[in-house]
Parts: sequence; structure tokens; C-alpha cells
Amino acid sequence: MSNERAEFTDFFRTSWEPCLRAVLAIVGSPQLAEDQVAEAFVRAWASWRKVRRHPAPRAWIVRTALNAGASWWRQRSRELPLADHDLTARGSPGEELDASLLTALRHLSPRQREVIALRIFLDLDTDTIASQLGIEAGTVRMHLSRGVMALRRELTATNDHGG
Amino acid sequence: MNAHADMSDTDVLSAARESLSGMPVASPPDVETIMARGRARRYRRRLVPGMTGTVAVAAGATLAVTTLAPARHQATPQAGRRPAAHLAAWTVTKLAGGDISVTIRELKDPAGLQGALRTDGIPASVTFAGQLNPACRPYPGGTIPWPPQPPTPLLRQVFPKPDGLLPPSPHRSRGWSQAPGHGSPPPASPHPGQTVIVIAPSALPGQAGVQIAATYGARWIGPVRVVYASPQCTGR
Repeated sequence: MSNERAEFTDFFRTSWEPCLRAVLAIVGSPQLAEDQVAEAFVRAWASWRKVRRHPAPRAWIVRTALNAGASWWRQRSRELPLADHDLTARGSPGEELDASLLTALRHLSPRQREVIALRIFLDLDTDTIASQLGIEAGTVRMHLSRGVMALRRELTATNDHGG
Repeated sequence: MNAHADMSDTDVLSAARESLSGMPVASPPDVETIMARGRARRYRRRLVPGMTGTVAVAAGATLAVTTLAPARHQATPQAGRRPAAHLAAWTVTKLAGGDISVTIRELKDPAGLQGALRTDGIPASVTFAGQLNPACRPYPGGTIPWPPQPPTPLLRQVFPKPDGLLPPSPHRSRGWSQAPGHGSPPPASPHPGQTVIVIAPSALPGQAGVQIAATYGARWIGPVRVVYASPQCTGR
């Protein structure tokens, strides 16, 4: 049991941030993302013997966090909040770019956001993303292409404005 | 025209990763708290026959307490996916508006419940030892008398359908009672044998918490009182 505790603790400490960033990019709300990721880790520990054998445990966390959030909001007949006020306040050029990128992600479909977030923050390849989301690899590539297009547009626009 | 316009897909993703990875995000919560909640989640999968013993809860919040109302459906998403034979010993659910609902079905794993409440921002102390936490000091005017009439602005209690043991309360309505302007109703009426505690953190004055003692044998939860929050009592 102590080995499992140490193993989970290490997984938690190294995975919290990338998983949180991925979920934040998808749901848009920092508070919501934090709550959902915490809940996902709770569930991971509750089922650690299964999760530790998962081929992509961080992807499991992200999917579980999103499912937990969907259940929570569906129970209350509400949509996920993606309003601008949930994003980082604009300030320095770097922060402005961050906000622009998140805004670009927000305009993508939820599935496209998931694909982009899993690629960017968890560094999953196309086949792994496809298996985690239960979709075809070709569909992943299509989502990636559209997501990259949107991100490129924002990167270009921000660079033009920023001089 | 700028450099980004000619970037490859890989470069775009790298640039986005580099930028977004610099954004400040919340620090991870205490891993022990996460594991305590995970353990509690395992326990919740077990069959829960009913409450026995005594519960003492001290929570930094305003709350309403309900016991023993007939249920129409399970209150929490976790338990709701499972058959009745696998109801949780307790569940903590965030309600719309920021309230916290605690449903207690069996007096198990007080540390897990305490950890779950603290993770949700409630400075809580939970014991199932049959006595109040002696470190908790009553908050002035925060004690609810028995029977709890009238509910105070700080605390709200409901004791619905206690099998005829209690007189009708003017503060009950279809099994629930709410103080005006405070909180939201629990997501569902509890099953018989359950206790539902609704905590409205926003309505509690600073430095205050709430303490509850419950004795199942009497079919009610109480007394309930507001206490001073402290590291020894409510954890902070």
C-alpha cells in the first residue's frame, strides 16, 4: 500500500499542472478546471490499481475531469462558463497572447479543444488521442488541423498588433 | 506578414504550448486530502444500512440540517450512477450558488468527510466519537435550541418526518425548511435514515464555524451551534 501511495503521490505532483492546464484550455474557467481536476485525482486514487495500469493516466485524468464537470453542470441544466471574465486579465504582451490563444480555443468545438489540449499539454500522439477520445485517427487529424489554423490566426494577429 | 504566418503545424503547437505553459495556475491541493477523499469514495460504494452512533461536525459555514425525509431520487451524481445497494456512507456535493450539501447515510470515515469539506473550502472538524470536539467554543448567540424554533440567520435546521417523534414545525415545507435569503435547497430530498446538511459558506460571519452533534438513536441531528473557527476546532 505504501508503494501505491508513493506512486500516486509522485503521479499527482508531476501531473497536476499539465492536467490542469489541459482542462483549463478546454473549459475556460480556472476555478472550474481546478475543481474538476481535483475531483479526477480523487477518483484516480479511489481506483488507483486500475488507473496506474492505464496506457495514458494523464489522459484518464483529463477525461475524468471533463466527465465530472459535465455531470455536475448537466445536473444543474447549465452550460460550462466560457465567458471572457474567466480568462486571464490582459496585461503584458505575453498575457495578451495567452488570452488570445485561449480565446481562439474557446471558439473551437469542445472536441477540437480536447484534441488540441491533449496534444499541447499532455503531448499525446494522434493514435493515443484517438483511442482516449474514442474517435478515428483521421478525425483527430482533422480537429488538430482546424485547431492549429485557429491558433496560427491568433498568433499572427497578436504578433501584428504587438509589433 | 510575420513569422507566425509561415509556421508549420508543429511550430504553431509548440508556440501555443510555450505561451500557455507560462500562464499561472493554481498550486496542487494537499495530496493527503486528495487521497482521503479517494478513500471516502471507495467507502461510498458499500451498502449503507443506516446511521448509528453519534456525529459531530464543526463547519465554517451557515447550514441547514434535514433528517429522515422520504426520497425521490439519489442526491449525488456519484451515488446516482449506482444501484441503491451501493449508496455511499456520505457524499459532499457543491450546489449551485456555492452552497455545500452533505448527505450522511452511515457514520463512517470521519477523516474522509472532514477532508472533503476542507477541500471544498469549509473549515470543518468531523468526529464520529459520540461527543463534541472540546476545542470548539460556542459563538455568541449561535446555539439553536431544541426544538429549533425559530431558525437563526446563521443556522437553519429541519427535522422532517421523524416518524411522529417531533411536533410539526412552521419552518418546514414539503420536508425542507429554509431561512429567508440563505442558500439553496439540497438537490433532492433525502432517503429515510439520511441526514442532509446544507452549508452556505457565504452567510457565515468571519471567524465563525458550526458544530453539529447527532445521535441516531433519537432520530435527529443536534444540537447544532455556531462556534469560533480555530485550527483545533475547524482546522483553521
